[in-house]
Amino acid sequence: MIVDDSKVSRTMLANNLAKTNFEVVAMAKDAAEARSLYEEHSPDLVTMDMNLPDADGIECSRRICAIDPGAKIVMISAMKDAGLIEQGKSAGISAFLQKPVSTNDLIDTLMLLCQEKISRIAMLRESYAKPFAAALKQGILDLIGIQVDTKVELYEKKYLEVNGIAIIIGLTGTPNGRAIVYMTGDTMKTFAEKMLNEKLEDEEEAHEAAEEAANIFIGHSVSSINGIITNKEMRITPPGTFFGSGVKMTTQKLVTFKITAMTDFGDICINVGFAEGD
Amino acid sequence: MDAKLVNPFIEAFVAVMPMLGFQPPTKKNMVVKNKYAMSRGVVVMVGFTKQLRGNVVYNMEDETARFIASTMMMGMPVPEFDAMAQSAISELSNMLSANAATNLTQMGLDVDISTPNLTIGEGFSVKISESQYLVIDMDLQGHSVEIAISVDRNF
Repeated sequence: MIVDDSKVSRTMLANNLAKTNFEVVAMAKDAAEARSLYEEHSPDLVTMDMNLPDADGIECSRRICAIDPGAKIVMISAMKDAGLIEQGKSAGISAFLQKPVSTNDLIDTLMLLCQEKISRIAMLRESYAKPFAAALKQGILDLIGIQVDTKVELYEKKYLEVNGIAIIIGLTGTPNGRAIVYMTGDTMKTFAEKMLNEKLEDEEEAHEAAEEAANIFIGHSVSSINGIITNKEMRITPPGTFFGSGVKMTTQKLVTFKITAMTDFGDICINVGFAEGD
Repeated sequence: MDAKLVNPFIEAFVAVMPMLGFQPPTKKNMVVKNKYAMSRGVVVMVGFTKQLRGNVVYNMEDETARFIASTMMMGMPVPEFDAMAQSAISELSNMLSANAATNLTQMGLDVDISTPNLTIGEGFSVKISESQYLVIDMDLQGHSVEIAISVDRNF
């Protein structure tokens, strides 16, 4: 997120960032807007101008850190002196750059601040999310005899919205979290019919089949993780099943991945989330 | 399900809420339900593993969730069930479940809890058990919080 009262500065920064892998999710022109946009988007990083019409950049940073103590803020100002740096640090600012900023300096600073987060996400993706994708692929093959492609994506939305069925299985141990297996009602029905090899009239039977499948997907995922990472045993809770429309599940305080298995009767997905911190 | 396993959850609720600035809650009633529960608006589920397996669900209306979040945040107005209020309710569920887990440990049961899963909306039902489960309706200053418990010893 870019916070700057000058449209020219915002545009220049946005243009610089457009050449990188960083994405600008929001731009604020004053402290009030910065606070509300921060809440709305939870950006990974904030660039902060010193001069804002309703408060200075230090006060604005203080307000952002009040909402999120883990906020990563880079102050970009024309002036950069020891007094400003000291004040800024106590307000929660992580780094200081002087205008005009070269693209390289900007990227280096942003990368450095993100590193902790990026490496944890990369670790979770490789060691934890990918086994879920492999277990989903194998599970679908075992249960209904279909080869599917799967993909793993970092899921950054605040909610997972489900229309159909969502089976939640809690993960305890390290890291703890939860996995949600979900699909639409139609996909569930077709999947259950293929699994049981008969036409189903009763929706409850389809729910049960989907729950059983979810248990297999998640159980196998966790077994495979435990087989590789032996000192941190993960366990799974019994499933809780939600069905209906517009079911909104929060992803707050979790690093989540969406794993999609694409079938010709719809996607079968797992949203797996791991608690932040260790 | 063993009724003795329910007390640690009620005790946790009664012990934790006053620490967060609420008047002591009281148990209104306890009923046995079958399989499904309808969402009242805000549903938080926490799973248990190790020597106890199952789920506990805290089910409440949006207004109750906002009242709880507001009280937890020193009376700050909570006109909408926003990210901060959601975070407060998740944190509360975590505290209640962790406290219940401590009570269970004192009964000689080693348990572990999952992260809370917060779900919002009214048009959905929840199934937490293959058969019957217990629902305790707690009164919190005129607001009702339903605690649905489906746990069993894991041998």
